[in-house]
Amino acid sequence: MDFAINSSFNDTKKHWDISIEGEIDIYNSNDFKKELSELIQSNPTDVYVNCEKLEYIDSTGLGALVSILKKVKQYNGDIHLFNLKSNVAKLFKITDLNKVFIIEGEPHE
Amino acid sequence: MSNVNNIPIGEDCIELSLPVNPAYVSAARLTASSIANRMGFNIEDIEDIKAAVSEACTYLIKRNLHLGPKMFQIQFNLTTSTLEINLTSQKSEGINNIYDDDSLGIMMIEALMDKIFVADDDVIKISMVKNLP
Repeated sequence: MDFAINSSFNDTKKHWDISIEGEIDIYNSNDFKKELSELIQSNPTDVYVNCEKLEYIDSTGLGALVSILKKVKQYNGDIHLFNLKSNVAKLFKITDLNKVFIIEGEPHE
Repeated sequence: MSNVNNIPIGEDCIELSLPVNPAYVSAARLTASSIANRMGFNIEDIEDIKAAVSEACTYLIKRNLHLGPKMFQIQFNLTTSTLEINLTSQKSEGINNIYDDDSLGIMMIEALMDKIFVADDDVIKISMVKNLP
């Protein structure tokens, strides 16, 4: 399974609304990083990521997210992650990245 | 005709040989998931095993992609109380330190599995064990 990113700019709240579907691993994490990077370059604002349909993310995908967060922080923005599945939330927790990203809401099955 | 349903699994060994190509890491995850499910691991443990296998594959692939052996091996050793998973590949010559730091992947395996052993010599080997609850 590959991944898909659906994005739209929220004109009212002036941030990116993104949803991620599928699995991110060493096979596609570079593409994932490139897509997000292009998005924030086109409009440098906060990013809200709906992870409801994110089935899995590996260390290379987490590394890609951290790399994007560094760029977002450069313009004083933030990345908000919400609706994480419990297995994905666990990966953020064991890597301590739950303290780096703003994670909202309780994990779900 | 004999009944072929529900034959219990025993102390079996399942071996998988995969090309050193990131495209097949998902195949390793699916195989691990299927075996762990048959053994009776709960959903959380199955997710842990899938993620650990994925990180171990990534560790081996990063060391060999475009450079060395074309295949690597994954062995699943099943017992009544544990699943032991061994990943091995030959080490490509002269490729030390060409890969990114991947301590994050190993740290994740340590958190997800009950035991892990990594040997990075002539043969790269990652052994890890998950105990049945």
